[in-house]
Amino acid sequence: MLTALIFLPLLGSLILLCLPRENHRALRGVATFFTAAELLISLLLVARFVPGQAGMQFTERYDWIPSLGISYHLGVDGVSLALLVLTALVTLLSAITSYSITERVKDFYVLLLLLETGMLGVFAALDYVLFYVFWELVLVPMYFLIGIWGGPRRQYAALKFFIYTLAGSVIMLVGILALYFGSGLGTFDMLALQEAGRSLSSHLQWWVFIAFFLGFAVKVPIFPFHTWLPDAHVEAPTGGSMLLAGILLKMGAYGFYRISLPTLPDATQAFAVTLATLGVINIVYGAFVAMAQQDLKRMVAYSSISHMGFVMLGLAAMTPRSLSGAVFVMLSHGLISPLMFFLVGTVLYERTHTRIIDELGGLYNRMPVAAVVLAFGIFANLGLPGLSGFVGEFATLLGSFDVFRTLVIAASLGLVITAAYHLWMMQRVLMGEANTVGGVGLLPDISRRELLVAVPLMALILFLGVYPAPTFAFFNDAILRLQNMVQLASLGGGF
Amino acid sequence: MERNILVLLPQLLLIGFAFAVLLVDTAGRQRGERALSTWAAALVGALAVVTAVVVLPFWVRQGEFWGGMWLLDPFSLFFQVLLSCALILVLLESAEFVRARRLGSGVFYALLLLATTGMTIMASSRELLTVYVGLELTSVSFYALVGTMKEDPRSNEAAIKYFLMGAASSAVLLFGISLVYGLAGSTYLPEVARRVAASPLGWAAAALVLVGLGFKVAAVPFHMWTPDAYQGAPTPITAYLSVGSKAAAFAALLRVFVVGFPALSEVWQTVFAVVAVLTMTYGNLTALAQTDVKRMMGYSSIAHAGYVLTGLAVFTPESLSATLYYLLAYVFANLGVFAVIILVSARRGGEEVTRFRGLGRESPAYAMALTLFFLSLVGIPPTAGFFGKFYLFYAAVHTGYTWLAVVMVINSVLSLPYYYHVVREMWLEPAQEPELKEQELQGAKAAPEPESAAGYGLLGIGPAVTASALVVLLLGLYPQPLIDWARQVAVLL
Repeated sequence: MLTALIFLPLLGSLILLCLPRENHRALRGVATFFTAAELLISLLLVARFVPGQAGMQFTERYDWIPSLGISYHLGVDGVSLALLVLTALVTLLSAITSYSITERVKDFYVLLLLLETGMLGVFAALDYVLFYVFWELVLVPMYFLIGIWGGPRRQYAALKFFIYTLAGSVIMLVGILALYFGSGLGTFDMLALQEAGRSLSSHLQWWVFIAFFLGFAVKVPIFPFHTWLPDAHVEAPTGGSMLLAGILLKMGAYGFYRISLPTLPDATQAFAVTLATLGVINIVYGAFVAMAQQDLKRMVAYSSISHMGFVMLGLAAMTPRSLSGAVFVMLSHGLISPLMFFLVGTVLYERTHTRIIDELGGLYNRMPVAAVVLAFGIFANLGLPGLSGFVGEFATLLGSFDVFRTLVIAASLGLVITAAYHLWMMQRVLMGEANTVGGVGLLPDISRRELLVAVPLMALILFLGVYPAPTFAFFNDAILRLQNMVQLASLGGGF
Repeated sequence: MERNILVLLPQLLLIGFAFAVLLVDTAGRQRGERALSTWAAALVGALAVVTAVVVLPFWVRQGEFWGGMWLLDPFSLFFQVLLSCALILVLLESAEFVRARRLGSGVFYALLLLATTGMTIMASSRELLTVYVGLELTSVSFYALVGTMKEDPRSNEAAIKYFLMGAASSAVLLFGISLVYGLAGSTYLPEVARRVAASPLGWAAAALVLVGLGFKVAAVPFHMWTPDAYQGAPTPITAYLSVGSKAAAFAALLRVFVVGFPALSEVWQTVFAVVAVLTMTYGNLTALAQTDVKRMMGYSSIAHAGYVLTGLAVFTPESLSATLYYLLAYVFANLGVFAVIILVSARRGGEEVTRFRGLGRESPAYAMALTLFFLSLVGIPPTAGFFGKFYLFYAAVHTGYTWLAVVMVINSVLSLPYYYHVVREMWLEPAQEPELKEQELQGAKAAPEPESAAGYGLLGIGPAVTASALVVLLLGLYPQPLIDWARQVAVLL
């Protein structure tokens, strides 16, 4: 089942390769069909998922390279399944958004589907080598998506993205090997190493933790490894930005959740303050830099850095509530940031041909529906209660408060700044005198296809914000198990 | 003592077909016809050799022949398979090149077969002088092959440089062998291992052998000939030089040091580690500055020699099998790269990075294949190169050489930008600019018979690229059989 989910897009991209490159309609149709089928399959998995059941579900395991202890091992818990659904959804919306691409359509969708295979694989892999293969598989298509269809500085941004991520991940590979040999089990199985990792010497745990940290920190990205992000996000085509912000950043945080915390609990405890501090730096720094941006897309990119800081803070605090909050922020940011990138990069830009805040203004009067949608996105992004952003961040702060008081207070300061720059931006872009950017008078309002992208995201953001309980319940068991593991380890260390 | 002439079947076939090619060459009336018939003869010969190598273990008992002069073991079979497969790919890549450039086809193909004979000899003996004879046969054939483009001053320069430095290094190697003989009273490696103990003279002998073979694998600091020879040589020869000659020299290096000098292993392990680090770092850093793709691949091949050497530095059965795996992955990816270089150069009249501009639009299949080969060379999954590197890291970390693994991963990242140059030109740059078109026209005028680029150029290049790409992908997705094979080979070394 998971295999089908992961490799169906690959099949789709192979089919696309055989289609004529001039027939844009067919290419878009096939790509949309496959990404929609992915969403259906992932929802089917959700329907068959048993939340209370212990351990991984839908597991599949075959020998791959038995002589090195590498297996093809897939499985999901509540958190990874939620991320799979998110991936399928955002990819589908990104495919629809990218109808506006008219150049090299075939190549675009081939790469998009390949990317989907990689992303889904990362969230479902339970073997380190398999995980690494999917992790790297994400890199190549994304590089081309940025490099071919991106903005003016696309080549620089694409290369920077590639080099940063590759550098992080190869160091992670050495960490994987150190863990493998340190455990002495002769297997790359994540679950088996989870048991063994806790008994490693603290010295080795530290080194392995640092290696994984570098791999994940680049992806999240954690300050000071974040500098590729603004470039990549700004230059990427909208469909690419949506996936970058919505899914790729979650891969890093997911790595901490799936690998660092359960497998290296002692080292995680030891580094918890550092992680939390870096998370808060992300929050505050990201917010301040976002405030200074003139380019809307850049502003949204920095706001992503800021939001990912909450995820790090929640993961570092390691209380059930903070962990749930962190996962919730991942999901909610996975909905909000694609919406924002879509609005800024496509809806606004295709009408006004600018993303510079000062050149915009009074858009509410010129494209009222689009402006309302944008206002919704802004409110969601700044964490307005009732929308999903608030729930996750609130839970994270609440859950972390007992552990890191000062830091949480500093993080709340970040929230204030976040609200401030969002409102200020809204004031400059939507309110005020209408100007003549993109032509005089009314601009064409948001189209039906664009609404098709925006409305599902808005509905989910609203749903998660108003009624978050079922979502929390969905991954609650996974969180409790993780917390148990961490706690056991810290008790064991105390004796 | 066994004397079974059948064990030499691959070598006999190679030599026989080399002469057959020369005979066929005299029979043809006009140049074009001769180019085709000699090529076909050589290809038939190569196919016969592969068949012979594959059936050989079923016909002949494995073991030593002629008093230890010759050895048939999994190791020699591995390299004979590897080298004859490489030969087929190189032949496929040569067809169009030889015809379009009006090279003397008979001599060209005959020398290719003879060079292959020498390489297989290097891998099939535990006797230093036999290894040396194989090495000389290989080198002499290559000296001539590098200079086959007689009208091209670059080719001449390359041949002279390669010859002078090659001759010097052969002399050093021979001197090393003479010291070994003086110490051990034998050139038979198991005997050498018994007699040569850790002593200054033993170290000197090992060092001289290392210098001689280090030249062939292009390890720093014996690499100076590489970029010039690679750039000047006919491209199919560059391809063969970068994989065949290197693989055979590694075979000799592995055999000599693992079988012959185990007593000195503590010292030479350190030396290999240092040389490996220098080699890969130098190769990657210098490749960054290149604008000619052939020259860039020259430096890249230096860097890859560095990765392979780490296997010797770590020196466990695991690391040796990783070395074999890596070599095989490297051979196919590199031959694939050169196939596409030949194609581009035939169509666009040059090998500069800018000639690759817009290839993704013009021939997406070739551009995709080249991207795949580069990914494999960088070591990004799911390619053979990834598992090659992974296996090397694995072996290094296992034995406590984590620092070496870290140096290797940093180097993999370093290697990315120069491969990226070509990938960028192929995919990211917009289609040809007008000025370049003009250049291209001029280039096409300069190159003889531009229209021949269609013809049987496709016959050769297409299959070569397809085969390499399939191997690279297959080994990336399902490496288990090759890992098993390489392990078996390394244990029995």
